[in-house]
Amino acid sequence: MKKTAEIVVIGGGVIGTSIAYFLSKRWKKVVLVERDDLASGSSGACDIDIILQSKNPGIHLKLAMASAEIYKNLPEELDFDIEYENTGGMILIEDEEQLNVMKEFVKKQRAVGLQVDLLDFKEATKLQKGLAPHLVGATYSPQDGHVNPLRLCIGFARAAAKRGAEICLGTAVTNIKTENGRVKSVVTNRGEIETEIVVNAAGVFTPMICEMVGMTAPIKPHRGQIIVTEPVPKFVMGAVLCAKYIVAKYNPKLLEGSDDLETRLGVGLSLSQTRNGNILIGGCREFVGYNRSTTHEAFVTILKHATRLVPALKEIHAIRSFAGLRPYTPDGLPLLGPVEGIEGFIMAAGHEGDGIALSPVTGRIISDIILDGKTFIDIAPLSPGRFGK
Amino acid sequence: MKEEYICRCEEVTREEIERAIADGATTLSGIKKRTRAGMGLCQGRTCRRLITQMLSKTKNPAEITPPTSRPPVRAVKIGEIVEGEDD
Repeated sequence: MKKTAEIVVIGGGVIGTSIAYFLSKRWKKVVLVERDDLASGSSGACDIDIILQSKNPGIHLKLAMASAEIYKNLPEELDFDIEYENTGGMILIEDEEQLNVMKEFVKKQRAVGLQVDLLDFKEATKLQKGLAPHLVGATYSPQDGHVNPLRLCIGFARAAAKRGAEICLGTAVTNIKTENGRVKSVVTNRGEIETEIVVNAAGVFTPMICEMVGMTAPIKPHRGQIIVTEPVPKFVMGAVLCAKYIVAKYNPKLLEGSDDLETRLGVGLSLSQTRNGNILIGGCREFVGYNRSTTHEAFVTILKHATRLVPALKEIHAIRSFAGLRPYTPDGLPLLGPVEGIEGFIMAAGHEGDGIALSPVTGRIISDIILDGKTFIDIAPLSPGRFGK
Repeated sequence: MKEEYICRCEEVTREEIERAIADGATTLSGIKKRTRAGMGLCQGRTCRRLITQMLSKTKNPAEITPPTSRPPVRAVKIGEIVEGEDD
């Protein structure tokens, strides 16, 4: 039987469910299709950080700050415990060279309006216990926080369903039909859905959906591995990264071809603790296609790096590791907005490791664009066409 | 009736798992993400069989994907992992 929908959203991760929620909040008839389950891809294999400090000063940071504002009221809005907490966060600095990079980073972030300070070692140890004595300091922002991404997806999906959205799990898109350059319907393994608007929020699988309308998307899977510890009493102050993480994130070219394993795997510290007490220790960034395996090499290298900066972790037991694929784009910014030449085809993908932080603001922007044709921020730098056809 | 715990590590009851199945979970991973069953210290060694049985009421047992096993196979002190490698 043929279904109809005002809007079809492809993808049941933190981006797709957020978009479905924001659209259904304005009473649009939304159908969300997900080939597997909610949070079955990258959104279920990541850390919990909503960290603003790691964002490039500019539109990237502005988006994250707007998202952080939405997060504050989100638990009440969704009427669901997403384990959101405004904890504050730190970036650990190991040497003078990193300190100089971070000084510049902080200056630019402050200019955009982020509250962020440089701390010396003594001040840093007051916020986070167990730090290595060789650290020279850290940056600190009270605006960072965390959320449980699994519960975020479920919370968005339930709230959307309450407002009439249909959430179709186990529903894989097999084709998108167009007519005279306009979207006509979405074909799935469970039938065809007639619609004029499709949102591609398929994360790392975005390129496969784009191919169905003859478009190429410059999104590549970037594998990250994370280690989980046994639950322990409160140890991590909030979101704790290291300056090397910033380098791995924005200058991956700088790291390629290095002889040093830690550098080649793109290892950078990302430390956070769930409400249950498990500490998540990340991470790395590797281009290995769609391979979601964990490796012994990364497991050991990530832990070595983490214990060098925070030796107190050595006393805690690791119980699991996992790997997730981050949707990488060449400039580290997502592809948001309508695609020129294919009327009704909207992109919302390529958030790399910032999907959790940017989930609410992405939902808001996409719903604004679809319903009002404009939004509160200039999204031209995020245009899906910016890399050429 | 007394509460029946399926996942002892994370204290997840039969009722919570039944709710997760009703909510659309069709895999062990889907149940884990909704309830935390299998996320604890033993990593689902005991509960995965019980949950598979529950899932098999609504799904063909042959189609139930086994959970992904990930290192370490048992809880290991991080100090031992990083120091063991230096030898």
